Amino acid sequence: MDFATFLEYFRTFIPAAWTTLQITFFGILVGVLLGIIFALMRISKTKFLTLPAKLYISIIRGTPLLLQLLLIYFGLVNIVRLDRIPSAIIALGIHNGAYIAEIFRGAIQSIDRGQKEAGISLGMTGGQVMKRIILPQAFKRAIPPLGNQFIIALKDSSLASAVGVQELLLHSRQLASANYLMMEMLTIAAIFYLIMTSILTFLTNRLERRLKVSDHRV
Amino acid sequence: MDHMIKIKSLSKSYGKLKVLKNIDLDVSPSEVVVIIGASGSGKSTLLRCINFLEKPQKGTITIDGKEVNHKTKNLHLIRREVGMVFQHFNLFPHMTVMNNVIEGLTQVKKVPHAEAIEQGKAMLEKVGMLDKADVYPAMISGGQKQRVAIARALAMNPQIMLFDEPTSALDPELVGEVLQVMKSLAEEGMTMVVVTHEMGFAREVADRVIYMDEGQIVEQGSFEQVFDNPQNDRTKAFLSHII
Ligand SMILES: Nc1ncnc2c1ncn2[C@@H]1O[C@H](COP(=O)(O)OP(=O)(O)OP(=O)(O)O)[C@@H](O)[C@H]1O
Ligand SMILES: [Mg+2]
Repeated sequence: MDFATFLEYFRTFIPAAWTTLQITFFGILVGVLLGIIFALMRISKTKFLTLPAKLYISIIRGTPLLLQLLLIYFGLVNIVRLDRIPSAIIALGIHNGAYIAEIFRGAIQSIDRGQKEAGISLGMTGGQVMKRIILPQAFKRAIPPLGNQFIIALKDSSLASAVGVQELLLHSRQLASANYLMMEMLTIAAIFYLIMTSILTFLTNRLERRLKVSDHRV
Repeated sequence: MDHMIKIKSLSKSYGKLKVLKNIDLDVSPSEVVVIIGASGSGKSTLLRCINFLEKPQKGTITIDGKEVNHKTKNLHLIRREVGMVFQHFNLFPHMTVMNNVIEGLTQVKKVPHAEAIEQGKAMLEKVGMLDKADVYPAMISGGQKQRVAIARALAMNPQIMLFDEPTSALDPELVGEVLQVMKSLAEEGMTMVVVTHEMGFAREVADRVIYMDEGQIVEQGSFEQVFDNPQNDRTKAFLSHII
């Protein structure tokens, strides 16, 4: 394949890459929101909140994402009829929510007990301590594992091909079967994934470094 | 004279372990009480009960006339009256020195920001840390951290200050600056309960020394009474050990 043909094919991947980015972005957004909610439920002191959170986390982590996606797209058909892309976003969001909840929980629990006590002894309420003292520090600690999770989410978005979302993997496979250039088309998809994951890595590293200014043990 | 702190038959246990056994203790306004005792004797637990960080199973604690027991709600309102300084400083690492000091003022007392800064400056001045107002805790020494922690507690204008081994995590050459701040606080008439093994401080500043053993107060009196003429054999053994 000469370079001009390669470029020609390459350009057809751009809309698919855009779709990959979109489902990843919105999936992560839903995942972070769910993650915060379930992390706070999980560490609360009432069983009424911890039990549902534990249940959610163990069900999601104990079953494959592909199955969750198929369940949402095909399985719920009689209850709600969701389009391909919303199905993919919801599945990715719910799936990542469980992992992100565990990331936040670990980060919150890693903050030294003395921090809470110092806040409490100033007369702050539990809520104030959480919002002003614990969460800002926990968020900082969560950045490296979160970045990692975002990269996993980006790659997992390729599973959306199973319900016919025109994202990178499906596009490359369709082209490949039309022109018998399997190796070439998969390689182009791989290049796109690599570019996007590299950018994500770069961004999280930069954020981490920026927030490090004040971050030492006290 | 009314007592600033009045503790009546206070008992605290963790599971089966009885850490405080029926403690009675009254502290007068402006009194400085130093608590000594072996590791595990319950000194920290007693302080933490006075600040309601721990809930005792039994007994009452009265702070400036307000009685607190295990059923009292809104503990955070009473905690404002009691400042606490910890062994490991527990400064907030994500906030500058100044923001550490004004956190309680702005969040708890809802003092407007500009006014809080003014008060914060006064507190930092008092502990000799005004020049470090804008740096993060990670950039200052242990002694400086502890002085900032004292300023943070003082900013709430508490009636009582509790110190739990405030100098024992410090390098020896940094101990003096912290004790100096505590000493001037005592001279201003602050009511203080201090757990420490700094005997020079106890001799100079303490109005009363209390020796705790296995969750009980077994000896108390002036520094001279406790050190030069201890009545209890355990006190004698402990003192021979630390001096
Ligand atoms: N949260 C807790 N859970 C269980 N046991 C505890 C807890 N906190 C303290 N203890 C136990 O209570 C006892 C008294 O502890 P405390 O910290 O009050 O002692 P201390 O006199 O301050 O000792 P040190 O000089 O080592 O600081 C110890 O045996 C300790 O192990
Ligand atoms: Mg202690």
